[in-house]
Amino acid sequence: MVAAPQKTLTISLFITLNLISILPLLTFSFNPDEPTNRQILVLLDDLSLRSSHSIFFSSLQSRGFNLDFKLAQDPAISVKRYGQYLYDGLILFSPSTDRFGGSLDLEGVLDFVDSGHDLILAADSNASDLIRNIAAECGVDFDEDTSAVVIDHTGYAVSETEGDHSLIAADDFIQSGVILGSKTIEAPVIFKGIGHSLNPENSLVLKVLSASSSAYSANPTSKLSSPPSLTGTSISLVSVVQARNNARIMISGSLDMFSNRLFRSGVEKIGSLKKHGKSGNQQFATEISKWVFHERGHLKAVNLKHNKVGETGEPAIYRINDDLEFSVEIFEWSGASWVPYVADDVQVQFYMMSPYVLKTLSTNQKGLYHTSFKVPDVYGVFQFKVEYQRLGYTTLSLSKQSPVRPFKHNEYERFITTAFPYYGASFSTMIGFFIFSIVYLYNK
Amino acid sequence: MTRNLGFLVLAFLVLASICESAIFNPVSDSHRSAALDLFSPTDGTFRSLEETYKALRTFEVLGIEKKSDIRTSACASVVDTLRSTSSVLKDVFEALRVNGILKCELNDEAFGGIASRLKVSLSDANSLFDFYYSIGGLVLIKDQTSEIDLLIGDSHAIFRSIKALGQSDGRWRISSSNTDSSTSAAGIALETLAGVISLASSEVDQSLIATLINDVLRLFEGIERYDDGASYFDEKLVDASGHQGPLSASSSVVCGITAFAASTSESLNLPGEKILGLAKFFLGIGIPGSAKDLYYQIDALVCLENIRHVRVSTVLGSAPPLAVKLRQIFISGSKDASVIDQILKFDPDTAVHVLETLPANVDIGNHIFSFEIILEDAEDKKHYAIGGRTKVPVHVTGVIKFDDAEIAVLDSDLGNIETQKKYALHLSSCFTVWLFLDSLKPYVKLPPHTAPLGMEVGPAQACAVKVVVHDHSSIFTLCLFFDQRSSNQPETHSVVPGLELPGENAVSLSANHLQRLRLSFRLTTPFGHSFKPHQDFLGLVEKLFYLSGKYDIQLTVGDSVMENSFLQPLGHIELDLPDAPEKAAPPPPKHVDPYSRFGPKAEISHIFRSPEKRPPQELSLAFLGFVLLPLFGFLAGLFKIRANLNNMPKSTLPATFAFLFHSGIGSILLLYALFWFKLDLFTTLKALGLLGMFLMFVGHTTLSHLASTSTKLKSS
Repeated sequence: MVAAPQKTLTISLFITLNLISILPLLTFSFNPDEPTNRQILVLLDDLSLRSSHSIFFSSLQSRGFNLDFKLAQDPAISVKRYGQYLYDGLILFSPSTDRFGGSLDLEGVLDFVDSGHDLILAADSNASDLIRNIAAECGVDFDEDTSAVVIDHTGYAVSETEGDHSLIAADDFIQSGVILGSKTIEAPVIFKGIGHSLNPENSLVLKVLSASSSAYSANPTSKLSSPPSLTGTSISLVSVVQARNNARIMISGSLDMFSNRLFRSGVEKIGSLKKHGKSGNQQFATEISKWVFHERGHLKAVNLKHNKVGETGEPAIYRINDDLEFSVEIFEWSGASWVPYVADDVQVQFYMMSPYVLKTLSTNQKGLYHTSFKVPDVYGVFQFKVEYQRLGYTTLSLSKQSPVRPFKHNEYERFITTAFPYYGASFSTMIGFFIFSIVYLYNK
Repeated sequence: MTRNLGFLVLAFLVLASICESAIFNPVSDSHRSAALDLFSPTDGTFRSLEETYKALRTFEVLGIEKKSDIRTSACASVVDTLRSTSSVLKDVFEALRVNGILKCELNDEAFGGIASRLKVSLSDANSLFDFYYSIGGLVLIKDQTSEIDLLIGDSHAIFRSIKALGQSDGRWRISSSNTDSSTSAAGIALETLAGVISLASSEVDQSLIATLINDVLRLFEGIERYDDGASYFDEKLVDASGHQGPLSASSSVVCGITAFAASTSESLNLPGEKILGLAKFFLGIGIPGSAKDLYYQIDALVCLENIRHVRVSTVLGSAPPLAVKLRQIFISGSKDASVIDQILKFDPDTAVHVLETLPANVDIGNHIFSFEIILEDAEDKKHYAIGGRTKVPVHVTGVIKFDDAEIAVLDSDLGNIETQKKYALHLSSCFTVWLFLDSLKPYVKLPPHTAPLGMEVGPAQACAVKVVVHDHSSIFTLCLFFDQRSSNQPETHSVVPGLELPGENAVSLSANHLQRLRLSFRLTTPFGHSFKPHQDFLGLVEKLFYLSGKYDIQLTVGDSVMENSFLQPLGHIELDLPDAPEKAAPPPPKHVDPYSRFGPKAEISHIFRSPEKRPPQELSLAFLGFVLLPLFGFLAGLFKIRANLNNMPKSTLPATFAFLFHSGIGSILLLYALFWFKLDLFTTLKALGLLGMFLMFVGHTTLSHLASTSTKLKSS
């Protein structure tokens, strides 16, 4: 009789142990310590997208991502279990979905991003309110006219079958090697879809691919009755967001852009004499997905050290006017390993309410950044701060507190020549007193 | 009666549906380059015989010459597999398939051995795949050599045992122990049964075949459809290798039916539009990204017929005599349709139907040409399904003449022409006008009309912007772009209103009610009709948010049928706008340049307090000398008054105390000196306390001794 509860205990222990062994499979946001073997949930309107966009997917798979394809309506969708996220990234290739199946909704997607996970969202001219709202929460406002697509009469891609100039050959890329890779994209990117504008109040969203100044957003099949709401270079075709928690989001107004068809298609921009055998889509999509999934531009800073010149240990407190040395190591994730990050614009601040010292660090080209400076002659609680914000890179924000004290009483200069007359007066009086006391007492 | 499995899949129909979304030919060079990308052997060999076969088959269909590269290693593998007695049935089958393409050197003896082995395995086969591999292998051997007797005696029994795995809905089970049925298994089963029929020594019972045809028809009842008419077979069974997807299932079924239809003389009478739908489905996929998908697509298309070359042809055979007629031309945006009855000229060499002359009333614009297929032989109508009328969108584009450009500032609201300040616009380009109509080149060949219809515009046409359009329906969009590059104001907004040219010939921008800027231009089509736009821009002031300053003006004139759409910077204007009324909408927040937010900050270095100013050292030392002077004066005074120490106690004890007293005072003074040099306050005070107590004691003794001595002296 006594054995029964023990048995129950054993079983529950067994289950617990099993659960613990499963736990490592649950994933978190991009974790600098465990950057590989990442899970991505792909939500599709139609499973045929799996084969029509398979080059894009297989390029992700070949880079070590595990893609979990689901229909957007699938009732079994869940991104979270027991408070843990099951995926590192989400690809929403389901522009026309009004509601996701399962427990995922707008809030769920935003929470997913808020917890540091990455998102790729592609819309097209059938974009549903749900997709528009997700984009709007990220600072991207798609054209409110649901029938509008981007039209460009002077920048379209020459096509044998398409006549309304909505197949755009876009080549106005953001100037950032970290977002689009170091190799310049030679061929224009073919874009067919809806345009969006960036919310001016959102400072985190960036235009990666923008339309030319002659583009506008309108319904190609009907007459324009009023001026189009989006025109010119203010139309963004593809935008990215890097949130404050380093979650990355890419929003594109075209789902076709990622299709095998446009990946393989040649491109000839009207007015340009050069005909490219292959569009820039594949390179663009691959490079930007590398950025979104943190294979590039993800920095980590380690070994933040400071010490007095000539010493090695980190002092608990600095005295004003001390000379100190500061160093930090910065690495970038290359998709396979951490490589030293080389730049010449990393800066350190010695900060109390406002920076007292702001200095650019010198580098040894192997990831180590160092400098030395004199502690200001103001005492209080200071911080060493490295605030590194560069286009496309994750934000580095490090700080380390270190108080600064004034001189102790015995650390001041002891023999000041200027004071010698005072000392001379005191001591001569004392000597005089000594002699006087003897003479006074014993004089006869 | 010919074999009745005839479906006229109008290439037109399929292709027209695709060309709405596609920009490449259905099976084209893109497929070839994709195939080379996807089927790339590592070190000249593929991982398995199955993969080798898929690659070879795809290459063969697409006409890629790669056999010689793979041949050596693949043949070695084939021979190994076929010679070995322990090789798996599946590998034997795949090896035979590869051999079917490569024709490796194998003698009849080897084939005989394999054939007998396959026959043995056939007799104890129990799953669908066992049957498939054995029968398939035998069929392949039959195709490769004619020397061996391959007929199977108990074909009825085999047929029945395969048929036993079939389900009522037309799908098949993989084995008798497996209850799940699968669509792709149905395709495999049909292919196997077709093999059984061709290998059978005696005629297979017609009733069996009739039930099988019923199964096929039921299978077609479960076909899934897309809105655009594309149909596919969905695969609900998820086996160990994962979800196979509709592509492989549809491909398997199509090939199974083709094989079955080829082996039997019975009529299948499959619904024509479903076969069309399947063709649409396979073509609609475009270029698959994975090797497997590409193989399934190509294999299925081959089964459906050779659609590599885009022609009006049937899926499973060459075309019967027919004619293609251009029936109607619709102009998009209007309901008018011109009825035309024009038969396209058939070019027997290329089997392409060509529209030789363009109907006279076709001007620039978007048109829809409606084609119809007419079978010449009434008898053929029984065998072929015609896909109805095929509508092909045709965009007729042309170069639009643009001249008489003028921009003017009008001093009065009425725009009296005398008060204008005119500025000529120079658009220095030479336009030629031509029509072209080869949007559908690959599908319906239309002769491109590239001959210029005259109308050259000389460079630097002055005055009045003219954009020329003769077109009843086409939409011309004029966008005025105002980019404010403010020189005296920090705001930089770009306000970009666009407008349509509704029918008059000037665009004017009212700054206030006294002045307006007028842009006028004229557009002329190749046929010389002019078009006069006019639009007031009273509402523009609100759009500019009452922000005065310098605005750049760009003029964009474009349309989808206008070949010379352009973007022309027109210069800039200074706008002095009235103050914003209270109710006016505030200007939107400024866009921050993303590049400016990043980048290093200016360095900051701390400014240290400057050290106190001190007098020169010499001065201090001089004062030290002055300060010491009184001491020397004191000593000199003592010397002068002849001071002596005669009153010193003579006896030992008082002398000792006196000595201790004075050395005590001396040591306190010395302590003060030490305090200055090195000691801190606490050490000094401690020492001072001890010395003080000692000094009190010896001082008291000494002073009382001196006092008593002096009292004695006075009293005596």
